[in-house]
Amino acid sequence: MRRPDDYPVGLAYDEMFAASGDTRPNYQLLHNRIQTLEAAELADRQQTLERSFLLQGITFTVYGAGDSGTERIIPTDLFPRIIPAAEWAKIEKGLIQRLKALNVFLADIYGEQKIISDGIVPRDLILGAPSYRRQMQHLYVPHNAYVNVCGSDLIRGENGDFFVLEDNLRVPSGVSYMLANREAARRTFPGTFFQAGVKPVERYPDLLLATLKSMAGDFRPNPQVVVLTPGVYNSAYYEHAYLARLMGVPLVEGRDLAVHDDLVYMRTTAGLRRVDVIYRRVDDDFIDPLAFRRDSSLGVAGLFNAYRAGKVVICNAPGTGVADDKAVYAYVPAIIKYYLDEDEILPNVKTFLCRNPSELSHVLANLDKLVVKAVGASGGYGMLVGPHASAAERAEFAQALKADPDNYIAQPTIQLSTAPCLVDGHIEPRHVDLRPFILSGDKVVVTPGALTRVALKRGSLVVNSSQGGGSKDTWVLSDDAPRTGRSEEEAAP
Amino acid sequence: MMLARVADSLYWIGRYVERAEHLSRLASVMLNATLDRTDAGTQAAQLARAAIGDPEPAGDHNPFEAARDLVFDRERSDSVVVSLSRARENARQVRDQITTETWERLNLLFLRATGPQAEHAFNSNAPDFLQEIIADLHLFKGAADATMSHGEGYRFMLTGVHLERAQLISRLLGVCFSGAQGQGIDDHLALVSILRMACALEPYLRVYTADLHARNILEFLLFDEEFPRSIRYATARLDEHLTHLSTGREIGRGDPSRLAGRLNARLCYTDVEDVEAGGASAILNSVELDCTGIHQAMFETFVAYPLEMRLPA
Repeated sequence: MRRPDDYPVGLAYDEMFAASGDTRPNYQLLHNRIQTLEAAELADRQQTLERSFLLQGITFTVYGAGDSGTERIIPTDLFPRIIPAAEWAKIEKGLIQRLKALNVFLADIYGEQKIISDGIVPRDLILGAPSYRRQMQHLYVPHNAYVNVCGSDLIRGENGDFFVLEDNLRVPSGVSYMLANREAARRTFPGTFFQAGVKPVERYPDLLLATLKSMAGDFRPNPQVVVLTPGVYNSAYYEHAYLARLMGVPLVEGRDLAVHDDLVYMRTTAGLRRVDVIYRRVDDDFIDPLAFRRDSSLGVAGLFNAYRAGKVVICNAPGTGVADDKAVYAYVPAIIKYYLDEDEILPNVKTFLCRNPSELSHVLANLDKLVVKAVGASGGYGMLVGPHASAAERAEFAQALKADPDNYIAQPTIQLSTAPCLVDGHIEPRHVDLRPFILSGDKVVVTPGALTRVALKRGSLVVNSSQGGGSKDTWVLSDDAPRTGRSEEEAAP
Repeated sequence: MMLARVADSLYWIGRYVERAEHLSRLASVMLNATLDRTDAGTQAAQLARAAIGDPEPAGDHNPFEAARDLVFDRERSDSVVVSLSRARENARQVRDQITTETWERLNLLFLRATGPQAEHAFNSNAPDFLQEIIADLHLFKGAADATMSHGEGYRFMLTGVHLERAQLISRLLGVCFSGAQGQGIDDHLALVSILRMACALEPYLRVYTADLHARNILEFLLFDEEFPRSIRYATARLDEHLTHLSTGREIGRGDPSRLAGRLNARLCYTDVEDVEAGGASAILNSVELDCTGIHQAMFETFVAYPLEMRLPA
């Protein structure tokens, strides 16, 4: 099989077609299958897929004029993104290495701060970061597992190598889409799924529960775990409810909790019940009005004291944001070297720290080639994609850079790899990234799958769902030689 | 053991779906009755409009528009779409506590009733539209019955259903049999309409045959032990569920199960003769008041209790 003539070739690495035009081996089965389907059949399957998401209520709410928000599904693409076993093996090793190092880093930062004394990471960069929580200083965290759930963003560059673009160590989301996309893909391409031999992702909820329980194992034999959500108006509410349901634990809001004598309770119909582990999907700032933001009503007063007293575990630990700060990111290879004495398996993207005058002048001179990001922002906000920006926008950013260089970093514009997507009935390449999920408690586990986020606008490099991104299922192959067996026609779902 | 907030939401889901079903049925009966261009038809339509709380049932407000408002008016706190939206909003908040099958039924119903096509569907064939909503609500209750554990959460939901039902039916009977319109309803079509509003026509016929009398209808909808929309049936279920929910708990004087037991006993030991002698309004009012009392007591006992009273030992 070869690339069809109307599939445009770009600068980027394409996940399905090699530069020569041949179909890559990992996509062979899927490509064959797509060839047998008429455009109308594809459109039909796409519709069924979207409808099933709507029915399940996998939606986020868009607030516009008027009081009632409209619910939308995150656009989901029909075709899975397929990762060969050998590539995944490297990704997995790299992610484990990285998270281990970052957890030790956090333990050090909130402990003796040796890495600062040794001059590897600048003191002001850490202690001056808004995400640094001095309240966490000298606090015992079981297994040094500060980050229990991590959702790193990886990208594949022009030459086909994977890079880590961001470590999301605070409250990463998207795992429910990984699971829902998988369920949908199993129905859409059952035969291809079977033949390809795809690693399962379905164990994520029970592995998450085991991870959370392991955080309280040394002081409570059968800990009560809860998921703490900001509530039904949060855009990721579906995911909070989904994980609580699949783990079989209560989904609580701040108003369901109360703290008494440093013990945390939830209000049940039969009175108060003790809570041991809180998987919180609420940002640090909002978990406890006594310790952090006083105007927050999403958390519960006294929670942080209970945590300090060791009577409850908060997952992820507060203050992990200091290690996924976009400026600290530049130091992660050095951090890995310092603690593990290893070279990084997954490289960083080259990053210019505008806080260094020489790098700032380089950035200012090359604004039209670089992506500039505000250190504190996330979700695709506060960002300049140089090559796609107007001269006026660049001038505006240059002013901001000069005014507050500490707040910015810059990276070369990387053409993210593209994957085939169904767009208005045509198969077209769109830029994608990869967000795998890593769990860390008494051990570190990577789920063999990921959320592939898609920039649905042609040519766009921004995949965030708040900026018009979609998603697709991600298949990790269990070995790189395809199985033979049932063909698609005779395959039952 | 379940979260207090979750129990409260499940209870409200029960109330809202019951309300949506009842009002859909009233709208449907009203539209049907107006098709007859007789005095009896007009009387039946007026009864229905009084039962939905239309302030001027005799006014010149077009009945079709009245029915459409009853279904779609977002300003009306009890319209069908408002009830469905609230039921679904509550379901979303306890999404982890109800099964996927149950959730999808309610979500589908909500999407259909509030979608862009809904008003068009109503305008082109209102009876069909309403019938589908009622059938979907039955499917929702069936899915809950068939897939949810019949434990505490399910009981909270059913308590909501039966409490709402007792109130709605007593309000309906009040409009029909204790107000000015109720005096001497003897027209066949009007009586049939009343039974239809309580979804009781066929079960009634099997007990009393097609011999329709206001007295029998009152007896059936107040005291029948087996018909699920009689007040007696609803209070018996309230008593049963609240007894289960209160068992093994330290609950003081405000125990909702005591209130439910007392209400149920009153219905057990009253006859239609007593009602005829004293007028229906006395017992119907007391049903409404007791239901309000049970509602309050449940909230104070299970949801909004003072924390210092309930710390574990």
